[in-house]
Amino acid sequence: MRSDALTVASALVAQAREGDLKALESVYLAYQNAVYNLGRRICGNEEDAEDVLQDTFLEVCRSIGKFRGEGSLWGWIRQVAVSKALMLLRRERNRKIHFFGETGGLPEFVGNMPREPAGPIDLETALGRLPPVTRAVLWLHDVEGYTHEEIGQLMGKTASFSKSQLSRAHRRLREWLE
Amino acid sequence: MRVGTNHLEMDELLALRDGEGGASARAHVEACEGCQQELERLYQVRAQLRALSGFAPPRGLWPRVARHVRRRRRLRRRLGYGAVGLAAAAALAGVYVVNDATRGPPAEPLEAWVIEAESQDLGPMISRSRELESLLQTYRPASQVYDAPTALAVSVLEDRILLLDRLLSDSRQLGVKRELLRDLWGERVETLETLVNLELAEPETVWR
Ligand SMILES: [Zn+2]
Repeated sequence: MRSDALTVASALVAQAREGDLKALESVYLAYQNAVYNLGRRICGNEEDAEDVLQDTFLEVCRSIGKFRGEGSLWGWIRQVAVSKALMLLRRERNRKIHFFGETGGLPEFVGNMPREPAGPIDLETALGRLPPVTRAVLWLHDVEGYTHEEIGQLMGKTASFSKSQLSRAHRRLREWLE
Repeated sequence: MRVGTNHLEMDELLALRDGEGGASARAHVEACEGCQQELERLYQVRAQLRALSGFAPPRGLWPRVARHVRRRRRLRRRLGYGAVGLAAAAALAGVYVVNDATRGPPAEPLEAWVIEAESQDLGPMISRSRELESLLQTYRPASQVYDAPTALAVSVLEDRILLLDRLLSDSRQLGVKRELLRDLWGERVETLETLVNLELAEPETVWR
C-alpha cells in the first residue's frame, strides 16, 4: 500500500518531535494502515503484522526527535517498518531452523514448503504460498518500489540475491496463476 | 542475437520490465510474440499486486503503544535521562546510593509494588536495584549519542526492565510465587548491572 499522498501537517510533526503524545497519536492514525499492510504483506500473517505495527510506532515515538525532516515522514516511517518486518521474518526463520534443524536447502524454504496447488489460484492465495523471503522481495520491489540494491542491503545480502528471488517469485506466480 | 525457441529467461524479462534489459534481449522481444506476451503478463501481475485490497489494522493498538511510551519515559527519568547536572547529581549520590529515604527525596514517589516487595525480605535486591539506578541517574549525561549497536543494546535492556517492572507491579494480581518474585528481582538487578557496565564502562567512547 502506497502512502505518498499522505501528509501530516508540519506543525504536527514538530509537536510529535517534542514528544507530544497527542501529536504522535495523529501520526499513528495517519500511517497505521500503511504500516500494518506493509507488515502484513512482508510477514504474511496478522499476528506478525500487528507486531510490526506496534514495534514500528514504539520506535517512531522513541526516535522521531532524530527525524530531520529530510525526505518525507512516510519515507522514514516506512524504513522503520520494513526493518521491523524483516527482523520478524528473520526471527521466525531462525526459530524454525532451530526447531526443525538445518535442512541444507535454501533457507527461504524452511518451514514453508510450498504445496502444489491443484488448479489455478488467485493472486492473494498465490502470495500466501510463496516462501516468506521470496514474497518479501516481490513486495518490496514490485509494489514498494525498492531497488535490488536496497533490498539486498536491507536483507544483509546482495543485489543479485534480490534479483534471483524476484525471478523465483514470478516463475512461481506464472505457474500458479493461469 | 537470440532466435527461434531460445526464449528469454524470467530475469531477462524482469530486467526489461524494469527498464534495464540489454539490447539483445530487447531485440528478441520485438521479434518474438511469445516473449512479448510474457512481458505483458509481468506488467499485469505488477499492476494487480499494487491493486490488491488492503487489510484493516487492529483497533485499539495505540493505547498500548502510548502506555509503553509513558512507561519508558518514566523509566528513563528514573534512570537519569533528566536534566540533572553532574555536580548536583554527585552531591546527591551519597543519598541515593545508601538508599536511605530519610536523608533525601527518592527520584520518584515509591510505587506500591516496590514497597510491598521491600516488606518481603527482598530488601537487599531492591537496594542494589536502586543503587544501580542512582549510578545511572548520576553519571549519565542529560543527552547522549550512542553508536548504533550501543543504542540497540541500551534499548533492548531498557525494554527488558520495563517488562520486568510490569510483571513485578502486577505480581500480586498474577499470584506470582515468592521464588519467582525473587528471580524477577534478581533478573532486574542483573539487567541494570549490564546497563551500568555498558554505559559507564567507557564513557568517552559511549558518549560522544
Ligand atoms: Zn521469445
